[in-house]
Amino acid sequence: MKITVTINGQKYQRDVQESQTLLGFLRADVGLTGTKGGCGAGECGACTVIMNGEAVNSCLVLAVEADGATLQTIEGETVKGKLSPVQDAFARHHAVQCGFCTPGMIMTVKDLLARNPKPSRDEVIHGIEGNFCRCTGYQQIIEAVLDATGQLKESDKEGLKYV
Amino acid sequence: MLHDFSYVAPTAVDELFTFLATHGTKTAVFSGGTDLFVNIRGGLSAPDYVVNLKSVPGLSDLSFDPKAGLSIGACVPVTRVLNDPTVNKKYGVIAKAAGELATHQLRNRATVVGNIVTASPCGDMSSPLLCYDAQVEIASAGGSRIVALKEFITGVKRTVLQPEEIVTRIIVPTTYAGTKGNYLKLKRIKGHDLGVVAVAMIATSKVIRVAISSAAPTPVLLPDFPASASAETIKESARKAISPIDDVRCTKEYRAFMVEEFIDRLHAEVKA
Ligand SMILES: Cc1cc2nc3c(=O)[nH]c(=O)nc-3n(C[C@H](O)[C@H](O)[C@H](O)COP(=O)(O)OP(=O)(O)OC[C@H]3O[C@@H](n4cnc5c(N)ncnc54)[C@H](O)[C@@H]3O)c2cc1C
Ligand code: FES
Ligand code: FES
Repeated sequence: MKITVTINGQKYQRDVQESQTLLGFLRADVGLTGTKGGCGAGECGACTVIMNGEAVNSCLVLAVEADGATLQTIEGETVKGKLSPVQDAFARHHAVQCGFCTPGMIMTVKDLLARNPKPSRDEVIHGIEGNFCRCTGYQQIIEAVLDATGQLKESDKEGLKYV
Repeated sequence: MLHDFSYVAPTAVDELFTFLATHGTKTAVFSGGTDLFVNIRGGLSAPDYVVNLKSVPGLSDLSFDPKAGLSIGACVPVTRVLNDPTVNKKYGVIAKAAGELATHQLRNRATVVGNIVTASPCGDMSSPLLCYDAQVEIASAGGSRIVALKEFITGVKRTVLQPEEIVTRIIVPTTYAGTKGNYLKLKRIKGHDLGVVAVAMIATSKVIRVAISSAAPTPVLLPDFPASASAETIKESARKAISPIDDVRCTKEYRAFMVEEFIDRLHAEVKA
């Protein structure tokens, strides 16, 4: 089936298999491999993208359902070589270790901040409950989000810089 | 996806029913797809056709009428119910349970109706809906019928639905609207998890209604209790109604214990 999708502001038209997932479409049909596939079953959140303004698990959405949709994926976060504020905070806080969860985590956080620009620590924890990170232990991720939203004291930021 | 299927997106109710009348036995309809696609991927379901209900107009209505009550259309995702001011005000226990269901991403897709049709013993929407005496509207080419939720779910992942039928909406009458109550769900972790056991309770000045999930093959609605009933009376009734099992999530003894613990806590809350 032929579908048209706008991804990060760019239009793509592809002929897709009707049983193809949105995750498979992004990675295999479009070649945008930033979005990751972990469990394929809604558990891990690695595949999170923003579809028509809502965070979804792209492994549980059909590509054909996205016909006409507007999507945001991790590839749209860095504009002209400049990291988005959330990406920048993740880098400074070492909220990335192996990086596998990061694209999904960042899209989830982006969606959270669009709904709630200054989430409390508890709201951040609750907001990312659908995203597993098996490396960082979440602490750095939570701090990165609090920093990106201007909620971290200067004393908490000592020693934080890119490596 | 491991299994290949054809995708069907009807644009009218009649078209949907005609399709189901012919191909119903080889078809799976879906809205959120959060159960269906997990099942297809796991090899538990292998339909020839997958029909998107979201393309059918008229199934996405979430509305409240002072006489008819709350109407939750087949394609209303859990997030909408969770954020709806009327649901929060008049059917607070439904909103509470909606917030306990899965994750934010999944709630954006998962529907209340899909949760009921899946008929899992641990589905988060069923206990609160049972307390509020929810009715299920079922339709097909042959017409429509209304079945009480407590008769709709007949066993583990079993319902009264026929292959050519769909659930068009859930109707929650006003009988218990605005009453006190709560939903307590026990999970293995703080994050998202299916319930180990869950109890919903609502109380008016006349009755206390209690429903229990994950403690029997279907969610269980206990018989009505007078408002004066003690926690002990409710627990005694619950002991007779449930048949918990051991599984990967916990033992039957722990389930039985936590059902009683939750009844105690909820009873104290509605009596406060
Ligand atoms: C990782 C993960 C975590 C989860 N956590 C929870 C949890 O904590 N609590 C919980 O309760 N559930 C949980 N679920 C289960 C799931 O999200 C819910 O059951 C969801 O509400 C189903 O709705 P849906 O619209 O996605 O259903 P779908 O997948 O679209 O459909 C489910 C089933 O119902 C049928 N169906 C759907 N709509 C209709 C209709 N209108 N008429 C007839 N048949 C229909 C489909 O054919 C299918 O068999 C979880 C799922 C995942 C993947
Ligand atoms: S790959 Fe989609 S949630 Fe894990
Ligand atoms: S950085 Fe490795 S899973 Fe999160």
